[in-house]
Amino acid sequence: MENFASLLAGFQVALAPENIGVCLLGAILGLVVGAMPGIGSLAGCALLLPLTYKFNPTTAIIMLGALYYANMYGGSFSAILLNIPGDSPAITTALDGYPMARKGRPGQALMTANLSSFIGGTIGILILTVTASGLATIGLMFGYAEMTIILLIAMTSISWLIGENPIKGIVITMLGILVASIGMDTLSGAPRYEFGSMYLLGGIPFTPFIIGCVGFAQVIKLINEREADEKKRSSDDSRQKLSIKKSMPTGHDLRRMLPPTLRSGVMGTFVGVLPGSGATTGSMVGYAIQKKFKSEEPMGSGAIEGIAASEAANNAAAAGAFAPLLALGIPGSGTGAVLLGGLMMWGLNPGPLLFDTNPDFCWGLISSMYVANVFTLLVAILVIPFLIKILSVPVKYMIPIITCVCIVGAYSTSNSMYGVIVMFVSGIVGYLLDKNGFPTAPMLLAFVLAPMLEQNIRKAFIASQGGLGIFVDSPLKLVLLAVFLVLVLTPTVKAVRRKMGAGKKTPA
Amino acid sequence: MEKKKWNLRAVIPLATIVISLVYILVGLKDYGFWKGQPTPGFFPIIIAVVLLASSIACFIQIARDKDSEAVRYNRNELIVMLGAAGIILCTFVIGLVPSCLIYIFLWLKFVERASWKVILIIECIMAAIILGVFTFWLQIRFPMGLLLDMIL
Repeated sequence: MENFASLLAGFQVALAPENIGVCLLGAILGLVVGAMPGIGSLAGCALLLPLTYKFNPTTAIIMLGALYYANMYGGSFSAILLNIPGDSPAITTALDGYPMARKGRPGQALMTANLSSFIGGTIGILILTVTASGLATIGLMFGYAEMTIILLIAMTSISWLIGENPIKGIVITMLGILVASIGMDTLSGAPRYEFGSMYLLGGIPFTPFIIGCVGFAQVIKLINEREADEKKRSSDDSRQKLSIKKSMPTGHDLRRMLPPTLRSGVMGTFVGVLPGSGATTGSMVGYAIQKKFKSEEPMGSGAIEGIAASEAANNAAAAGAFAPLLALGIPGSGTGAVLLGGLMMWGLNPGPLLFDTNPDFCWGLISSMYVANVFTLLVAILVIPFLIKILSVPVKYMIPIITCVCIVGAYSTSNSMYGVIVMFVSGIVGYLLDKNGFPTAPMLLAFVLAPMLEQNIRKAFIASQGGLGIFVDSPLKLVLLAVFLVLVLTPTVKAVRRKMGAGKKTPA
Repeated sequence: MEKKKWNLRAVIPLATIVISLVYILVGLKDYGFWKGQPTPGFFPIIIAVVLLASSIACFIQIARDKDSEAVRYNRNELIVMLGAAGIILCTFVIGLVPSCLIYIFLWLKFVERASWKVILIIECIMAAIILGVFTFWLQIRFPMGLLLDMIL
């Protein structure tokens, strides 16, 4: 009950005219950015981060939260109409969305995606409302040693979940931590690894680094997608006329949609809460589970159940990911890392104390997610007749536009060309890493979490006077350590088993 | 005799090996590891050691993997990078806003061969974003460059 009283107080913050305005703006921008193939929520949030500098922290994070949230809706548009997922969580939506559009029901596919996103998101936000402050209360019991292990779990799990190669995940995570250690020592304030440079003394600025790693790196990759994009656009499927009236699902469609939506909504939220997972994992798990249930049409051939499961799960996971972010200060994904970095930049310290020190902020943000969910649904329905126009902006025209937004954004957040140079260099590094199969999301997560990890690990060692016993002296620590070890060892065991299996199959 | 191809994928782990060695050496020399309690070098050195070990493992993995396709770099990717580098360099001469607008024009006209109508629309949108949002709303003062500084 206490949570709902706080939620009502949060609505007073969320329903302030300024916050409603940015919520709507975030919803519109999120839908557009999500619908544009190739940008994605991570790059979208990073590119729009400079715009939030004008606002107070609550308003700023409400806008970014709405944007992230609306992105999940927008990603399905191009997946359904063009078979090009706007963002990675929409990959599974395309599996049934595009075949359904080809069967002559693109409007119903879009409406199914919108409605299941709304229901899934609402389930996610409800669970977030009930659990977030409880999670923060548990977090208050954590000391330096527990926080160290939890941060290690967060960093390890994202490396483990992304990609098939855990070694590359570890390399990239460690690199992110080392980049974050440039500048000042987190405890003593002494200069460190600045290599005599006045600029490096202030460290690597967060926003230009993120804009480069995800925004500019994405632009470099986009250039190769121009031809495929042109081909897809030249097909007749993308030129169908849509109207809201013709897009309405039938009663039978709604009955088919509801069970997978509810199931995936609950399951997606819990996937989102897990450190290191996110909306992409949520949608994949949701879709995989739906395959085990009965569908009226086979999955992958335009089944409404497939679209509903995927979309409900990714929106629920996006909402669920806010629980560890707010309560423990641990982002669940790359986009979560951008949001966390933003919070830190605005002087807020996400973690167990946040609900006590800044209740207006926490509950205002959670309340705003309900508002954003309603706004996004309305905008997503109203935008249906104009979708073909929005999606007709070719990738090739977006390249110079995003390049300039990256440069202008990087300058505006640092007020110096140093920020632009950091953006440029990190963009090229991000592109090279991605090209060679090194995922960049763990690097961003590590970059954001590194100062917190260093502070906790050093304080733990100071408290124990160098003894390692501090990490194993309570049942809670042992459980956390066991989880960490399982996460570290699972990929290795899997790889060994795969090799042994391959060895058995190979004839002598 | 079969000519052995150099796998470009190995460049990244090699680079991270060098980075980790630099961090370990500089850390031990300048910041120390432990003086009764952890010193500023303590945490980065541990991380650099893990990076070194994982980079070596990654390098061996890549060297052993004969099946993976070589990474192919496209000339167009270089053009995007050069374009951005061009904006940065031109900023010092003519300022950031004109550099961006000129870059957009050159890119659309000569790389994408877009029509004048498209160029005009995109230029207007970008000018509105840069000047309207960043200059007037966020009150960012973009660098004017040597030329504009001299004139104004």
